[in-house]
Amino acid sequence: MADTLTIRTAGIVTVQDLGRVGRSRYGLPAGGAADQHSARVANVLCGNDDRAPLLEITALDFACVPSGDILIAVTGAPADVTVGGVVRPQWEPVPVRAGETIRVTGIRRGLRVYLAVLGSFAADYLQGSCAPDTVLGFGPALRGGDELVLRTSCPPIDHPFSRIPLFRLNAPVLPFPTTWIIDVTDGPDRAEFGDTGRRLFDAPFTVSPRSNHIGLRLQGDVPRRVTKGEVLSRGVPIGAVEVPAGDELLVLHRGRGVTAGYPVLAVVTATGLSALGQVRPGQTIRFRHRTLDQAVAAHRTQRGAVDALRTRVRTAFDALRIRAPLGS
Amino acid sequence: MNGPDLPDLNGPDLNGPDMNGNVTITDCGDSALVAKAIGLDVEDAWRLVHALADALDAVRLSGVHDVVPTYDALLVEFDCTRTDHDTVRRVLSHEAARLGPNPARTTPPRRFVVPVVYGGEYGPDLPEVARQLGLTESEVVALHSGSDLTVRCLGAPAGAPMTDGPPFPTPVPRLASPRTRVDPGSVAVAGRQAVICPMPSPGGWPLLGRTPVRVLDLHRDPITAYQPGDTFRFVPITPDEWDDHAGTPLAACHG
Repeated sequence: MADTLTIRTAGIVTVQDLGRVGRSRYGLPAGGAADQHSARVANVLCGNDDRAPLLEITALDFACVPSGDILIAVTGAPADVTVGGVVRPQWEPVPVRAGETIRVTGIRRGLRVYLAVLGSFAADYLQGSCAPDTVLGFGPALRGGDELVLRTSCPPIDHPFSRIPLFRLNAPVLPFPTTWIIDVTDGPDRAEFGDTGRRLFDAPFTVSPRSNHIGLRLQGDVPRRVTKGEVLSRGVPIGAVEVPAGDELLVLHRGRGVTAGYPVLAVVTATGLSALGQVRPGQTIRFRHRTLDQAVAAHRTQRGAVDALRTRVRTAFDALRIRAPLGS
Repeated sequence: MNGPDLPDLNGPDLNGPDMNGNVTITDCGDSALVAKAIGLDVEDAWRLVHALADALDAVRLSGVHDVVPTYDALLVEFDCTRTDHDTVRRVLSHEAARLGPNPARTTPPRRFVVPVVYGGEYGPDLPEVARQLGLTESEVVALHSGSDLTVRCLGAPAGAPMTDGPPFPTPVPRLASPRTRVDPGSVAVAGRQAVICPMPSPGGWPLLGRTPVRVLDLHRDPITAYQPGDTFRFVPITPDEWDDHAGTPLAACHG
């Protein structure tokens, strides 16, 4: 019988991946991990394909127990991670023995923690992805007692007595500041806001509790459109900063419907979107203006760091004779 | 590399604004561009952005992962670590120039005949829409089901067919207070547009009726049997006839 990972304390946890690509034309939202960077790094640290299923743990305490020996990696927001009661690091591979309890508690400064398992686990797929989609009613939150079927095991590889951590892989960690700086570039409708467009950068915004993976609502000194007329429905990118008529800004995130009709003042950068996937309701953000070249360069630097990490993981796993079954 | 050969670099001027007569191309963040049809009538603009989307799909440009053609605009989403704005812009520009202002339709339109129960609990806003339009309820139904309506794009929340509205005398206002849940299959109108809501979702469009057919098939790729350019003809049925059609896939309503 295949080994399993049994959920003990569920909190808010879903099976997640990097989302559905290539389906926007048919009106399907991308979805996928809100913090794509942390999710990607968790899988890379386990030698998995970047798109392998992993767990997205949101805000609340979580615990699970594997029935066999496994290797995990926990990334995302700072939290207290223990395995069999022993404190273990985030952003590094961590061996877990059969029957040991993995606990993730006290998630702080950010919202989401990612837990990947070497070899990943079996997951249901819809339209090329296991990412949950609330509109389609796909991918329910996991509950206590649920079992995930593991695809492979990983023999114990740490020192049985000293428990000295084996890995120092120096993964690229996302910063978790008290005031988030979110990078944006000008949106296609920037000109429609005249001088009020500056307001986006002049003062901080507070994230409303009515925010989720579809979009974040931000309270603050909202820019005003100075032109009139309805905007014809059109495709809007993930990260679009929209300005509806009310007193809030809307930032579309990965679960956004692909078409909308509000003017787009700015667009959050690819690196900014991962950061925004970690911002908690009540926290403060400041927008920072970037040129397109700066934004692209930042994303390439971040992805380049993940690629370099992948090489280090491969080298370390080869030396330790760990078989990474999915490898990208 | 599985990218295509790049088009002729001696094509449109890449340093000036992207103008080849029919399309402007604008940056839309670090991972997307928008191509917008200009100087064309509504029909030609719509046809051009959909043909451009087809052309871009056919080229399979490395790094480009999604295209969203709507009315007069095409959103192109890409991974900027695998391609760049200039490359995507160049290909869009090249394809737009190749297509010209009147691209031929590549696939013949299909027609779907969709049964709808109008009014009552199925279409709770029918009386109010009739009042706003200064028509009787049966006149509204007759207009909504009296002509073939062309699908213009697939919209939120998932695969919703957005069609041109029926020939009502005036645009239909949206609801003052959107519903938190609209039943799947609900047939709605707003402005000069009509739609079928395929999945349970919130909605601010007035509801005229509801179809018992299954609009989407989530386990097919694509999830919709219809595509932009196809037409819908709504046919009134009685509540008694609901069960005759319940669960029938829309793909089977080809007519």
